[in-house]
Amino acid sequence: MSNLSRVEPFGDGFVSAMCPELILFAGMLALILIPNLGKGTFRIPGTQIRLPWLLGGQRFKITSDPRLPSWLATITLTAAFLNVLYIFSQGLDRTLIVTDSGKELLLINGFSRLFELIFFGALALASLASMNRLQVHGIGSKVSESELYNNRRQADFYILMVTCALGMSVVALAQDLFVLFIGLELASFSTYVLVAFLKESKVGAESGMKYFIVGSVASGVGLYGLSMLYLWAGSLQFSVLSVAFAESGTTALPLIGIGFVLVGFGFKVSAVPFHFAAPDAYAGATSPVAGVLATASKAMGMLGLVRMLLIVAAPESSDGSAIWLVCLGAIAAITMTWGNLAALGSDNPKRMLAYSSVAHAGYMLAALTAVGAWNWDATVSGDASAAAVAVMTALLLHLVVLVAFKLGAFLVLSVLESDGGASRLSSLGGLAKREPLLAVAMFIFMISLAGVPPMAGFLSKLLVIMGIVRVAVGDMGAEIADGGIYAIGDLHWVWWLALLMVLNSAISMFYYLRVGVVMFFEEPEEGREGPLPAGWQVRTAILACVLVTLLVGVAGDSLIRLCEMAAQSLNYEW
Amino acid sequence: MQDWISLPLVGFPLIASVILLAFVSRTDAKMRERLVGPVRMACLVFSLVLLMVTTGMFFQYFGDISWEGISFNSYEYYKQYSWIESLGIHWTVGLDALSFPMVWLTTFLLPVTIIATWNEKNGAMYFPILLAMGGALIGVFVALDLFMFYVFWELTLIPMFFLILVWGGADRKYASQKFFIYTFTASVVMLLGLITLYFFQDPGNPLDYAGTMTGRSFDIPSITQHAFAENSEGWYLGANIQKVLFAMLMLGFLVKLPAVPFHTWLPDAHVQAPTGGSMLLAGVMLKMGAYGMFRLPLSLFPHALEYFQLVLMTIGMISLVWGAIVCLGQTNLKKMVAYSSVSHMGVILIGIATMQPMGWAAALFMMFAHGIISPMLFAVCGAFKHHYHSMEIGAMRGMAKHSPWIATSMMFSWMASLGLPLLAGFVAELMMLIALWYFLVAEGWSVFWMVGPALVLAVTAAYYLWSMQRTIFEGGDETQPPESLHGEPVPDLASPEKLAMLILAAFTILFGVMPWIGLDMMHDWTKQIFEGLIMPILGDFNGGV
Repeated sequence: MSNLSRVEPFGDGFVSAMCPELILFAGMLALILIPNLGKGTFRIPGTQIRLPWLLGGQRFKITSDPRLPSWLATITLTAAFLNVLYIFSQGLDRTLIVTDSGKELLLINGFSRLFELIFFGALALASLASMNRLQVHGIGSKVSESELYNNRRQADFYILMVTCALGMSVVALAQDLFVLFIGLELASFSTYVLVAFLKESKVGAESGMKYFIVGSVASGVGLYGLSMLYLWAGSLQFSVLSVAFAESGTTALPLIGIGFVLVGFGFKVSAVPFHFAAPDAYAGATSPVAGVLATASKAMGMLGLVRMLLIVAAPESSDGSAIWLVCLGAIAAITMTWGNLAALGSDNPKRMLAYSSVAHAGYMLAALTAVGAWNWDATVSGDASAAAVAVMTALLLHLVVLVAFKLGAFLVLSVLESDGGASRLSSLGGLAKREPLLAVAMFIFMISLAGVPPMAGFLSKLLVIMGIVRVAVGDMGAEIADGGIYAIGDLHWVWWLALLMVLNSAISMFYYLRVGVVMFFEEPEEGREGPLPAGWQVRTAILACVLVTLLVGVAGDSLIRLCEMAAQSLNYEW
Repeated sequence: MQDWISLPLVGFPLIASVILLAFVSRTDAKMRERLVGPVRMACLVFSLVLLMVTTGMFFQYFGDISWEGISFNSYEYYKQYSWIESLGIHWTVGLDALSFPMVWLTTFLLPVTIIATWNEKNGAMYFPILLAMGGALIGVFVALDLFMFYVFWELTLIPMFFLILVWGGADRKYASQKFFIYTFTASVVMLLGLITLYFFQDPGNPLDYAGTMTGRSFDIPSITQHAFAENSEGWYLGANIQKVLFAMLMLGFLVKLPAVPFHTWLPDAHVQAPTGGSMLLAGVMLKMGAYGMFRLPLSLFPHALEYFQLVLMTIGMISLVWGAIVCLGQTNLKKMVAYSSVSHMGVILIGIATMQPMGWAAALFMMFAHGIISPMLFAVCGAFKHHYHSMEIGAMRGMAKHSPWIATSMMFSWMASLGLPLLAGFVAELMMLIALWYFLVAEGWSVFWMVGPALVLAVTAAYYLWSMQRTIFEGGDETQPPESLHGEPVPDLASPEKLAMLILAAFTILFGVMPWIGLDMMHDWTKQIFEGLIMPILGDFNGGV
């Protein structure tokens, strides 16, 4: 592990450490400026001399192209994604951005880099796919007024995509609750607008409103929690808070504060009972945006939970487990069961995917519970600590591969939406006849979501279950070898979470398979027999998702190693 | 010795089918119609190559292998490649007298199924899926790594799901989903059992795999060896945990077998599945359950096996009796055959539960014999359905007159299934009865209990003969073709179907007259497993006959 270098903002090494974020920032500026470049001139006051200064006026042909923002955003996000990949290939850096007064602002290590990878990858795919979802009309030739307005909005949409990525990566890096909150709100507000972007449609406006109100209430509660933590510790620094927690974290004030903060992040991961807005938001948003909510936004929420629970609030109770353990375990159990049961009864594929995403949140919370069941500390030797790292690895891997198959499923729905709607399960009818490859891709995503080998979803779910079981078994294996005698009841109770998880996987089979049955089996809806609208961009994105789903499923070793490295870097001096 | 041979055995059909499917799915309907011939021929050639390879393996063409004399927990063609290093997952393969007959059976049934369902609709997609099914099944049988085993175990569900869903009967949607979810639920419970077992290994000793995240291994041979060492000193993992893990693993296998009361998916799946699907499902897929029992719970947890012996015996008896009784009441030909499978799987379970070498050999041979006979049963059912558009037993009478080929095949396969001497099924049933006798004597129970299974064999004869009488012989006006044909010409088997029937019949006779071809290695292996595993751990129990 390389040494931690402390860098001040804009000091030496700042640019190389913050390169992906700077790319995003540059891309954001470009998105604002470039569509405004034109033949605008500036008249020197008092003279007739006009100097061309390129802003405003009649736009150049290339800058007036409404497709430009989408390409700019996709290229920016892809560049940021590739940059992070490059950093991974070069070996990880560990950099702490501090203010001149010594306050820690941002920490760049394997853990945060992995989350950047998730965020940028998901948003790049979504923005690529959005090119076909938000159609551009009347390029170059005479454009009607409504078309013109519609085209102008293109820039708004893609700027928000980039700011969303920027906010999320700030959350990933933050070492201070204030910075974290700023990043969280930047990302949240971007998603509120993105969800409500189709304001002309009734569902779009309604879902945007619902998502905004519930989301801002959750944020407000979270902010209140932050203020309580500040009141208690006098600082918002993670490092200060965690030390204070280890000393006196079991008093009422910090616990209530943490509890409130959890509400804010619980909304982001759509854990029961904070999930009620999620199905509406997913159903009303365009499918690529819904995909972002279900993958990147969820990863951001998980990230926040990991930071708050494992870094800040992980003092031991008497048996070596964290104090929030039982509470989180109960939420995990309820979340996965509720999500799956609700998904069983939903006829709208997007709502179904939303509830399946709730169920997946439950699986991940179960993993987090298992981490909390043992001392999350590298200095503690033995299998328990290694087990915690293993669960964390599984959690990270699940978040990474979720981008492939969950987002991929939403992108398939996005193609159907361009065809006239994907709000009923029957909209998928006859997809196998209309476009066989798309149906096969959707089927792969579905069985990957369900966790059927040899898909990536199986590997990640298996790792989660394995991690939980490993924590539950702990050192019992070695002790049995030494003559210890145990019963199944002696296992840590998180083992029952694993059992609940496999049973839930079986329940989830019902609705995932139903999608396959409808696609391969039922006739298309009336008037929708023809081929699907063209668009190579979204199909490219889907192809990428399929490839990742299959490749990770059969040869996921290097990705597991990557996640393991990230998990260890979280553990190793946060 | 060509120890890499199992790699192409699994990979070749899977990759070939993926390539064929990818190719075919890009063509339009007209082109697909034209592609049926070449694709079918390609699949047939592929599967024949596989059959030649496995047959060559039997005749020691690939290396000097003695199939008799493989001791417990040692494997031929053993090979290990690294797969997912970080978790200690390897591509570990190997064959012993337990798995090799199953592998051969799979490769034998593949070409036969292709021939028997030569004219299946949408063939350009159908035959590659059969091939994929074969690859996945071979994968299950050669796998010696828990992860790999589970992956192929679940992988078999996907092609079978599509076979039922796309080519199935009227109620195929319900049947395919029930099939998938039922077996998937059981397998995930089994998976949790496998994972719990995995983590109960002592990470240090003796399974230390440096460089893995878990310090443990999915390697079945080393787990088995370790479990054996621990078991001989007492209960491996302790009595309570061993019992729970045994129950969890057995649940997965009992549902697959299937045993009463977990059998309800089978009749639905069979009735709706296309003929080819049924043939592979009954022929090989059900055997996965019995195979898994031998490979994992029986080898790892002999103490728990002894503890649950009577439970298994009871389940086996109930399956045998219940399956047979339900058969009596069936009016649907295919459903009757499906329930007869349940009954025969009960024989396997009883054989295992006797805990006699003879009983285990009977179970192994039953797996093999039923794997040849039941595809023929379903091929006959398929032909009946195909030619008479009905599955009702009473719908067609006097078939011997109209279609002698179907009638003869039906009669032959029915006889084979009910256990006529000199046919393959008889050997296994006889061995089971002898083993049961030994068991009763050793337990000191009344031999009167033998009446049960013997009576069931009589019931089996009853429903088979009865159904035969109502379809083949008895007829109102024998000169009139049946009503369900609506005046179409009277059909009989097409030539490929005839060929398939002849092959299956020939092998049924072959293994009935000369059972030692397969039985020797099975019997030898059970002897080895009793000498190497059961006796050292459980002592001279049951009289050790």
